[in-house]
Amino acid sequence: MTDLLPSAASPAPPAAAPAGPPDAPPTRSGPLGWLRRHRTALVIAAFLLLAVGVALVTAGGETGQSADYDPANAGADGARAVARVLDDEGVDVEVVRSADDLADAGADSGTTVVVTSSEQLGESTVERLRRDAGGARIVVVDPNPELLRVLDQPGSAGYVDAGDPIDASCDDDLFTGLAIEVDEASVMPGDGCFADTLVTADDLVLLGAPQLLTNDQVLRADNAAVALRLLGQQDRLVWYVASYDDLVGDDGVDFASLVPDWVAPGLALLLLATVALVGWRGRRLGPLATEPLPVVVKAIETTRSRGRLYRRSGDRAHAAETLRAATRARIRTRMRLGPATDEPTLVRDVARHVGRPEAEVGGLLGALGRPPGSDRDLISLAAALAALEEEVRRS
Amino acid sequence: MAITGRVPLLVLLGFVAVLLRPVGGTVWLWLLLVLVVCGLDLLLAPKPSSLTFTRRPIGAVRTGHPAESLLVADNTSARSVRGVVRDAWQPTAGATDNRHRVRLAPGDRAALATPLLPRRRGDLRATGVTVRLPGPLGLVARQRTLDVPGTVRSLPPFDSRKHLPSRLARLRDLDGRSAVRVRGQGTEFDSLREYVRGDDVRSIDWRASARTSNVVVRTWQPERDRRVVLVLDTSRTSAGRVDDVPRLDSAMDAALLLAALAARAGDRIDFVAGDRRVRSRLRSAGATSVSGRLQDAMADLEPVIAEADWDALAGAVQGFGRQRALVVLLTPLEPSAVEEGLLAVLPALTRHHRVVLASVRDPELDRLTATRDTIDEVYDAAAAEQAVSRRRRTSELLTKLGVDVVDADAERLPPALADHYLHLKAQGLL
Repeated sequence: MTDLLPSAASPAPPAAAPAGPPDAPPTRSGPLGWLRRHRTALVIAAFLLLAVGVALVTAGGETGQSADYDPANAGADGARAVARVLDDEGVDVEVVRSADDLADAGADSGTTVVVTSSEQLGESTVERLRRDAGGARIVVVDPNPELLRVLDQPGSAGYVDAGDPIDASCDDDLFTGLAIEVDEASVMPGDGCFADTLVTADDLVLLGAPQLLTNDQVLRADNAAVALRLLGQQDRLVWYVASYDDLVGDDGVDFASLVPDWVAPGLALLLLATVALVGWRGRRLGPLATEPLPVVVKAIETTRSRGRLYRRSGDRAHAAETLRAATRARIRTRMRLGPATDEPTLVRDVARHVGRPEAEVGGLLGALGRPPGSDRDLISLAAALAALEEEVRRS
Repeated sequence: MAITGRVPLLVLLGFVAVLLRPVGGTVWLWLLLVLVVCGLDLLLAPKPSSLTFTRRPIGAVRTGHPAESLLVADNTSARSVRGVVRDAWQPTAGATDNRHRVRLAPGDRAALATPLLPRRRGDLRATGVTVRLPGPLGLVARQRTLDVPGTVRSLPPFDSRKHLPSRLARLRDLDGRSAVRVRGQGTEFDSLREYVRGDDVRSIDWRASARTSNVVVRTWQPERDRRVVLVLDTSRTSAGRVDDVPRLDSAMDAALLLAALAARAGDRIDFVAGDRRVRSRLRSAGATSVSGRLQDAMADLEPVIAEADWDALAGAVQGFGRQRALVVLLTPLEPSAVEEGLLAVLPALTRHHRVVLASVRDPELDRLTATRDTIDEVYDAAAAEQAVSRRRRTSELLTKLGVDVVDADAERLPPALADHYLHLKAQGLL
């Protein structure tokens, strides 16, 4: 410990650094060292980039043409078959994938607009749809309750027991005698065909059994016929695949529309209860009891601060002389020499007493001794004085 | 006002209403309902002023010994009252279990006992009595803090009592009540008795021996009815802590042991404590009650950040009477403070009295001088050596002026001072 001190106090030369203790980490400069020092951060950053990339790629795939009921989707849940057949039948099928394209398509009363991915519609896009449809017949595929509310067709949607064919059983001539068969279907508000899964209100058609459009199920029962009759009434069909990208501001499917309606007031209630809880636990039974605190002064404090003063001024000669004087005084008392004994006598007697050369004892005790040149010298002098005292006490 | 845990529960009960009618307005309606119910409960709650409190005096207790505070609650209203009463004390009074449930019929009274365990010397105060009385529904309570003053006087612990029996035994040796009799310069003639082998031949009374057939010796007893004046310095130097105990407390311990011993030896004890001015004064305490009265006089002394005015203190000593006395100055041997204040008045004191200075020595000084491993420690050691040598010089100066200096660690000061007293008494130097 003491050996390390001087080298710690004086700045080590840079050339000595590589020859340091073997267990110290090698401090290498240059780009390699920088990489080594920041490897944890770099690994984390690399993984983050990778994660973002994967998320982008997969998300892109999702929103592309693999969406359910997409006219370009050839998968089980796509609707390419229906779109192709309609096209072959002479219907002018135009696929639009944004609200702007829908506006450009210029739909009119001779047009059918079918909306898929309708869960991505929001209030603003529904408004634009109404405006841009220009009196066209609008078929909304698989509207969710929130969308129904926006379309002014509120009502709770129940599920239909699917599996068996469902007869049209309505007075719409278009579907008389047909039956559909799908895995899942939901009831739309109002009266309609196929157990209310297909409801017509003015020029708005709500389709609650969207699976009859899918490539997978279009061939069941009379699904294909229903699909073609539904969408092929006019010469022109604008297939609008809705997208979140067209939503404006906080419109669309916000968090509130997804949670039950008692949650918000319930949370408010919970907040109020928390406030009441804080009021209950936070109110003290009377003020804090205070203690008039006494002054705390350590008696040794002044001595220690004087020591720090010595240290700051670095007055080694003074410190050494103080230590020597104290040792001389104690040895005088110990050897019963009397306070008047002069220094040479004291040195001679002590040297004889402990059996050491007179010069050595004189160098330690007397004013002959040189003032210590460094902190290390001062420490060893202090230790030597203590050792001499101990020797005098023993012998 | 204070609310109870039932209020948040009542608010949570609003979930039922929210489930039945899930709109925001339900919450506000429910909140209004809760507020109205709480307001009603508050109106119906009994007023804290319906309870009146009186506190029984506690008196004095030695530091570290248990005491009990008795608070009498009186229901002066025409309603029955239930609630919680907190009897708050300052923390060092050690009040535990200070919350009391009360249930009082009209005109009823109850004594609420709070156990105390004082941890600090001095007058420890009650900080207030808080009453919390909930309404009939237990939702809201009226709360008020009343000032019901009370103190417990925590006396100096007198830890040095353990040294008293051995010193009393030595006193009896001096006194002539035991077999060994001491003949000294300042002893008083007591009685004559027959010579037994071992007695000092110089104590043979030849004139008395001539009248009888036996050899008769005189016996002596130590002087009695001397005066001991204890001067306790409460100035800034006494605030310094040695091993985390203020020097003042260690000095009190020493003073108490000396007073107890001197009282048994038949001396009278006067006591004065002060710094810039005299803080406490006790005159000629009787033999039996001296410890108690002295502890009481010392109980609420605290160190003051001011220089001691030794003129005033010396004046107080002279004010006790002109008779020669043993003056014990209980003050730290702090070179600068002693040289600037005490030295000026010492000649006047030593002319009339025997003066002893008792000082608490800091063992930390020795530890500092002994450790010399790092450069910081060596400088500290040098500073400590400086302090030690200055103390020694001051001590020598005081000795030259005729003052006896007793400088010992806090633990050893009381017996050392008592021994010095016994030594003076044996020598007849009082």
